[in-house]
Formats: sequence, C-alpha cells, structure tokens
Amino acid sequence: MHHEVEKVGDEIIIIRLKGELDHHSTQEIRDEIVPMIKNGTIKVLVWNLKDLNFMDSSGIGLILGRMRELAPIDGQTIIVNPSETMRKIFQFAGLSPYICSDSEIDIMSKLGGIVYGQ
Amino acid sequence: MDNEITLSFIAKSENEALARMVMSSFIAAIDPTIEELSEFKTVISEAVTNAIVHGYEEDGTGKIEIHARREDREIVVSIVDYGRGIRDVNQAREPLFTTKPDEERSGMGFTIMESFSDDVEIYSIPNRGTTVTITKRFVPIQETSRIV
Ligand SMILES: Nc1ncnc2c1ncn2[C@@H]1O[C@H](COP(=O)(O)OP(=O)(O)O)[C@@H](O)[C@H]1O
Ligand SMILES: [Mg+2]
Repeated sequence: MHHEVEKVGDEIIIIRLKGELDHHSTQEIRDEIVPMIKNGTIKVLVWNLKDLNFMDSSGIGLILGRMRELAPIDGQTIIVNPSETMRKIFQFAGLSPYICSDSEIDIMSKLGGIVYGQ
Repeated sequence: MDNEITLSFIAKSENEALARMVMSSFIAAIDPTIEELSEFKTVISEAVTNAIVHGYEEDGTGKIEIHARREDREIVVSIVDYGRGIRDVNQAREPLFTTKPDEERSGMGFTIMESFSDDVEIYSIPNRGTTVTITKRFVPIQETSRIV
C-alpha cells in the first residue's frame, strides 16, 4: 500500500498514510513532503492515519521533524484517526494536543475559514 | 503449549517489517487482543530498529538475532546485536534521549518498550554489542474481547 499526499490550495497538505510506518518507510515519505514544505507557502499539515496499520517511534520523528520546519512560519499540525496504540505513543511524546477528533472533511471546512477567511 | 524460536537476519531496514511479522505469528497461539498485538509489534520494532540504526549504523552486514520463548501466556524476547554497544544504559532509557537527533530519532524507543511490556532489561558492552530482553504477559482469554 502506498501513502497519499494531497495539496489543497497553496497552504494545506493532507498526508494519508497507509500500511506500516517504521524507520524503513519514513524515508520515502519524508523525501516527498520536505520539498513541498520548503517551497514556503504551506501553513498546515494534516496527518490522516485512518489507513495506517502500524506506527512506531519513527512516526514521532517524522511528524516532529515537519513541525520544526513549520515552526518559523507558525504552521499548524493536525493528526486525525490514530489507533489506540498510536494515541498512547503520541501521548508519551507530548503530541496528544495535536490529535483532532473531527473528520478530515470537518477539519478542511474549519481550516477554510482560518486560512482563507481572514 | 510452550514454544521457542530463533530468528537471525542482517542489519537492513527492510527486515524491521519481517521481524514484526514473524513475532506476530509467534504469539498468535496466545490469541492476543488487538491492543496487545499492536503494542507487542511496536516493542519488537523499536528494539530491532535500534539494533539496525544504532548498533550497526545500518551497515547491512551486521547480524541481529531474536530469541523468543513462550511459557503459557508470558513471552520473553531477546534482541541481540554485536555492534557498537551502549556506554550509559540509564541515560539511554531516559525519554527523549537520543544520540541521533539529526536522523529524526525521537528518543522514545525505550520509553515505548517499557510502557508496552512488563519488563525491559538492557545488557550492553561498548564495541561488543547489546542484548535487550523484553518480557510481556498477556491477559487470560476470558477477561477481554477477542479478535474474531
Ligand atoms: N542496540 C543498540 N546499540 C547501540 N546503541 C543503542 C542501541 N539501542 C539503543 N541505543 C542507544 O540508546 C539511545 C536511546 O534509544 P531509543 O530510546 O530507542 O531512542 P532513539 O532510537 O530514538 O535514539 C539511542 O539514541 C542510542 O544511542
Ligand atoms: Mg529507538
């Protein structure tokens, strides 16, 4: 299974991870997302974990790494649909505040207001 | 009812998934809950990744061994490498401690292993290698709902 990266407008990227996220598979995803963030306009990363069957601490490294890249422009990170085990892992790493219980569609409509509505 | 296996493979990142798969099959006879299984897989993944990334710095030649033993509903797994070793084991266990922050390691590996198992023992000699032994007890079948 292959992950899906969708750019919505200039400011939002939705990353739909699939299969298993470990040290081996993070490299490929990182290589795809980093250049998209570096081009400067991205303000929000949505990590949708609905179809992710497994994640270890490599996932924490991947998400924290991107948060650091977004920090200078005050970018936002949103995590949706983590499994029970993933929820615990995020909690250990202090990432629980970034988990959102809304659906991807609800998040997108709220973000529409934030990002485009000023 | 009891069982024992040994698995040996080289320090290549694609073997992380293989190790998880073999160990999942090994505990299938216990009939773990979905939660127990995914926590167990995470523990294996953390220890094997450490051996590959830190023990051998992904050299693709170093050997990693997994020895697993099942006695009733208790699993004892040792992940063995003959790599660099850990100089200060107590420091390595600390949450967020990592010697590879530049490679986006989060320093949460041992914290996850400890939280998702009943016991984690680390035996390491610098430049000789590391053995991490994990014990996990699975709850009796009637206490929880099962995978159907
Ligand atoms: N098998 C190993 N061989 C050598 N060093 C190790 C091994 N396992 C862990 N370490 C050391 O312990 C530290 C902490 O490990 P861990 O908690 O898994 O965090 P991370 O892997 O994210 O660095 C590592 O950064 C590394 O220095
Ligand atoms: Mg680790």
